[in-house]
Amino acid sequence: MSTLEIAAVTKRFGAIDTLKGIDIVLENGEFLVLLGPSGCGKSTLLNIIAGLLEPSGGDILIDGRSMRKVHPKNRDIAMVFQSYALYPNLSVARNIGFGLEMRKVPKAEREEAVRRAAEILQIEPLLARKPAELSGGQRQRVAIGRALVRDPKVFLFDEPLSNLDAKLRTEMRTELKRLHQKLKATIVYVTHDQVEAMTLATRIAVMREGRVEQIGTPREIYDHPASLYVASFMGSPPMNLLEGRVSANGDSFEAEGGSCFIPIPAASRSTLGPGRPVIAGIKPEHLAPARSDTRSTLSMDVEVVELTGAETLVIGRTGGQTLVASVKPDDAPAIGTPFALTAPADHVRWFDPDSGKAFPA
Amino acid sequence: MERRSLAASSLVYGAAIVMSAVILAPLVWLFLMSISSATDLSAQPLHWWPETLDLSRYGTLVSLVSNSAGEAFLGSLRNSLFVSGLATLGAILVAVPSAWAVSRTPQVQWSLFAVIATYMLPPVSLAVPLYMGLAHFGLLNTIVGLALVYLTILAPFATWLLKTGFDTIPQEIESAAMIDGARLDQTMRLVTLPLAKPIVATTALFAFLLAWDEFFYALLFTADQRAKTVTVAIADLAGGRVSDYGLIATGGILAALPPVLIGLVMQRAVISGLTTGGVKG
Repeated sequence: MSTLEIAAVTKRFGAIDTLKGIDIVLENGEFLVLLGPSGCGKSTLLNIIAGLLEPSGGDILIDGRSMRKVHPKNRDIAMVFQSYALYPNLSVARNIGFGLEMRKVPKAEREEAVRRAAEILQIEPLLARKPAELSGGQRQRVAIGRALVRDPKVFLFDEPLSNLDAKLRTEMRTELKRLHQKLKATIVYVTHDQVEAMTLATRIAVMREGRVEQIGTPREIYDHPASLYVASFMGSPPMNLLEGRVSANGDSFEAEGGSCFIPIPAASRSTLGPGRPVIAGIKPEHLAPARSDTRSTLSMDVEVVELTGAETLVIGRTGGQTLVASVKPDDAPAIGTPFALTAPADHVRWFDPDSGKAFPA
Repeated sequence: MERRSLAASSLVYGAAIVMSAVILAPLVWLFLMSISSATDLSAQPLHWWPETLDLSRYGTLVSLVSNSAGEAFLGSLRNSLFVSGLATLGAILVAVPSAWAVSRTPQVQWSLFAVIATYMLPPVSLAVPLYMGLAHFGLLNTIVGLALVYLTILAPFATWLLKTGFDTIPQEIESAAMIDGARLDQTMRLVTLPLAKPIVATTALFAFLLAWDEFFYALLFTADQRAKTVTVAIADLAGGRVSDYGLIATGGILAALPPVLIGLVMQRAVISGLTTGGVKG
């Protein structure tokens, strides 16, 4: 039986359809990330799962039990808020134990549970303090501790790392991952940060305007984006999307402006008929400098070269379209020169410019 | 600021001194009047600084001898304390739940505007209906009756002030408590109200002052020592054929003491309520 089932959930605020029918089934121990830009409905969906909002249609099932009209406290969920939402007037220990206190768990048992949670999160020395005396990262840990101590069926996280600075965010991300592996908890996590989604999720649901655009493992989403929207959202920098058409004989792709020829694999030739307009998606890291003995497939005029550390981003134009390549720093060309690149045909994704959907590989 | 020219600094301090003088001058004059002898007060030209110190009026007004002016004045002070205290208590009891409701449910905010609209009516327009109502319930010239009338003034004012206070307390904290299993009353008692304490204290103080200073309704709805408040008692001092300005000033000083004392006691809570709304990160 699935731990959490989101069945045809819709939500309407006045005349605005915020959620237009969401169906997701989550097994025990899964880490689902709801990913999308602000306003896509991901936080609304999380609040509906929590019971802070009622869906306009559809239902939430936790362990097979319908959550219609079930109060948040009776849903066996715990939630970590973006603003931490700690109780400023209570000590850290009472903050963490608040849920147990409200459920009339005996004091000794409660203290033991708080101590265990504090130990896992390494905040034992802070138990007597007030939230105002903690740093952002420590507050975040307390907020997680408050959820942890309840041992709920489902954990809900609403952009929990977005208030932390970059270094702390990376640390807490790793810690959340470790925590998930250790506790085997079922988690729904909302974020607009695709790196967070990639690193944490066992499955990602990319949301757009109240719908799930694509749901799958991070690998599937990253390697096989189902649409132009997902392709342009994932990866930093995201996938290059080159407009063009299939050549008259059907065996290669010609980009607008004509400085690019990519052979089309035999398997795809039947779906991509000759002369058909298509968009070719190529990840920056799949573009490699063409060696002198290979036939180059792409040539770009280099405009900007950015060293990001382990790799260098080469940004330029090919036939009027922007192209970004990620290469080793030693291979970086000079600005203003033409740069010849190859794109392995099996890593190129094909999209229909009309529907925005990917052609089946 | 470290880097400020001498001219700018003297302007800032000058402005502060002028403002304090404007605020304090009447108070100082009131106090000087209360300790000046009658001859000093009626001298031409006026003696700004009394030649003889006369503290007898404090003795006159603070006296427990039966049927004396002092007993009447102290009685009116006591009435004022009860009326203002009762009305403030009632206003806070009514305003806390309604302010929270309006703050958390924007859909019913119109009701607050409706209440505020009635608050805009000049008191005189309500005098007759209130008088008839009080008479009907036999509450004319009673402490409870006057406190009830004051409640109609204080409750909207307190609700408005408290609502802006509740608005600064993030709703997520209450959502978290709800998920943690707290009932509404537990959420209020353990989470929301402790956070709202400074703004509640500020509201209570201002409500108390509003009731303490009220004169018009008190004049209309009270008749004698059973309910007469201190503002009316001071007016009575001026009402005789011969007005002792010093005595009126002494009444003013004595009437100002209780609110000042309460203000001093609640100082810290009020200041944090005025500056931050009481909630930080």
